[in-house]
Amino acid sequence: MDYDKLKIKLEILSDAAKYDASCASGTAGKRKASAQDKKGIGSLTGGTGICHSFTPDGRCISLLKILMTNNCIYDCHYCINRISSDIRRARFTVQEVVDLTLNFYKRNYIEGLFLSSGIIKSPDYTMESMVRIAKSLRLDHGFKGYIHLKTIPNASPELQAEAGLYADRLSINVEMPTEISLAKYAPEKDQGNIHSSMNKLRDKITEHKLDRSHSGRKLPRFSPGGQSTQMIIGADPSDDKIILQRSVQLYNDQKLRRVYYSAFSPIPDASEVLPLKPAPLIREHRLYQADWLLRFYDFQLDEILQGTKDNMLELHHDPKMAWALNNRHVFPLDLNAADKSMLLRVPGLGVTSVNKILSIRRYGSLSWHDLVKMRLPLDKLKPFICVRDYKPPLHLLDTAHLSEMMRKPEQIELFG
Amino acid sequence: MHSISIKTIPGIDEWREHARLLLANNIPPDHIIWQGDDNAQMNLLASDMPVFSVDKQINFKISAQILDMINTALCHNGPCRFDLCYRLLWRLKHENKNLLALKTDNDVLAFQKLVKAVRRDAYKITAFLRFREVEKDGYPYFIAWYEPEFFSLELKLDFFKTRFKNMRWSILTPYRAAHWNGENLFLEDNPDPALYPKDDKIEQYWLTYYASIFNPARPKKNAMMSSMPKKYWKNMPESILINNLLKNSQAQAKAMIARDQASRQKSDEI
Ligand code: SF4
Repeated sequence: MDYDKLKIKLEILSDAAKYDASCASGTAGKRKASAQDKKGIGSLTGGTGICHSFTPDGRCISLLKILMTNNCIYDCHYCINRISSDIRRARFTVQEVVDLTLNFYKRNYIEGLFLSSGIIKSPDYTMESMVRIAKSLRLDHGFKGYIHLKTIPNASPELQAEAGLYADRLSINVEMPTEISLAKYAPEKDQGNIHSSMNKLRDKITEHKLDRSHSGRKLPRFSPGGQSTQMIIGADPSDDKIILQRSVQLYNDQKLRRVYYSAFSPIPDASEVLPLKPAPLIREHRLYQADWLLRFYDFQLDEILQGTKDNMLELHHDPKMAWALNNRHVFPLDLNAADKSMLLRVPGLGVTSVNKILSIRRYGSLSWHDLVKMRLPLDKLKPFICVRDYKPPLHLLDTAHLSEMMRKPEQIELFG
Repeated sequence: MHSISIKTIPGIDEWREHARLLLANNIPPDHIIWQGDDNAQMNLLASDMPVFSVDKQINFKISAQILDMINTALCHNGPCRFDLCYRLLWRLKHENKNLLALKTDNDVLAFQKLVKAVRRDAYKITAFLRFREVEKDGYPYFIAWYEPEFFSLELKLDFFKTRFKNMRWSILTPYRAAHWNGENLFLEDNPDPALYPKDDKIEQYWLTYYASIFNPARPKKNAMMSSMPKKYWKNMPESILINNLLKNSQAQAKAMIARDQASRQKSDEI
């Protein structure tokens, strides 16, 4: 009987968590139970966590991602849990979450726990229960798996600091790209508050990192996986420039590890200020690609936005291809001579292929046949590169059709 | 021509012993026929082990990284793996010690392909293996049945020993089982699949979770299939839900939008 109640809670509280975009576990170093430890369970293997399953929406299941409760005293319009929404409500006890996490972990279903929550009674009351869950997993059960806590906006700095002692990653959602939208869509939340929480966490995280390497005193781990955040795309009118500017700021100023973009997806019983239709997934995808180029490919924001209409990323081309089409004068690029930073700008070459190319170049030169053997996307590469025995026909880069040629066949987008 | 048959599975140690001797006696790869035990037909051929001087020293070393790749490749079930790995060794010694940097050399490509396939298969064990809990001698005991594509169980035993150190468990695969009692690991060949428990008291919650975390407004079957091809489904209890979830998803998402539209119209009228 008890078990069935638990099942219903799980149904409600994981259903409510599925709109959260961050699913994978981040990197938080290695960790395992020591040889003398006769109780502890779990490990962190160093890289990003293992994907233990995939749902039919293509997303990886790595963590038990649940809400502690979907009761909430706030009224954020985009959120299915807001106080004015007419949904079934449920609440886990601290013990239930601890047991579920351990039971799932022991069966090798998950890498750990991703816990967020609606706000019950007060931000501090809620945060305190969440911290108790993490603390019990760590101290009572010696849990060495991954814990991500989504901290509650407006909770006290002391509780946030305590959370950092047990969690591998903390996050606070910025929710909306601009202050105006946040005020409109999440009336009880405040951008200034969110920023100051992020800044405090940032300082703590750096302090703990530094103190481990410099002074003799060893500080405990504090959110070793850093902090991340999430922005909802397409619920408010912000364009891609505004969104990406915001991300750049979050990466630079708040030192976030990761910004997640979540294309607005209609929720049951939606508030009327929201659009009825989902934001196109392809927009979310392009934002992730742009974010990637900014962080790992040395692109500048204005390069990515160059030539865009209304400051929206091109949907037909990925942002790297769009840049290449706008900068045809730098191509074709000689793969046997170009330096790494330029190779990374060639559409169709990722970091792995660039490294392979550099490796081959040390002992010989690349021919077209090498590219075939490396299974590179030749149609995509063709206009932009030359190798020992291949040069693109002169007119190829100049054709007006190049942009169309480079489009992928339209993908059928459900409810696009 | 010499023919060498490898009798163990996957045969890493056996192969290495032979390869060392062959290399020391300067036997080129095209003078050897390698046979694996996983290939019954080949076993009909008589093994004809050449007589070597066993104590010939070779002074040839390969990096730990290449050794690790060779060990990985040997866990593949492709019958040519022994031959390929020996040829690679030979060419590393006689032709180019940086052979692996030639990313488009045919042997290197074939080798990398084996390594990659086995690594992926081994990774999938850590991802998709599922334990079921039973009681044994009054304590919880965890048992998994898993069918890897290759002989990759060995590569991940450390992972399971570390992660589930204080649990007692058995992992059964069609060719080998690993049993862990909290301190020691025992291997056993050809275990009995019937040891795998029929059910588990928590599994239904996992299925509930799997079904609830899926967003019906965004089905992306191809993305799922590329990360979790059908061949792995037999290891995963949640896979029985997939077809129904997909079938119902479109209807569900449409219904949600329709419901919303209707309710907004209603409130407009008032
Ligand atoms: S505070 Fe969080 S749970 Fe509550 S309505 Fe806002 S977004 Fe939803």
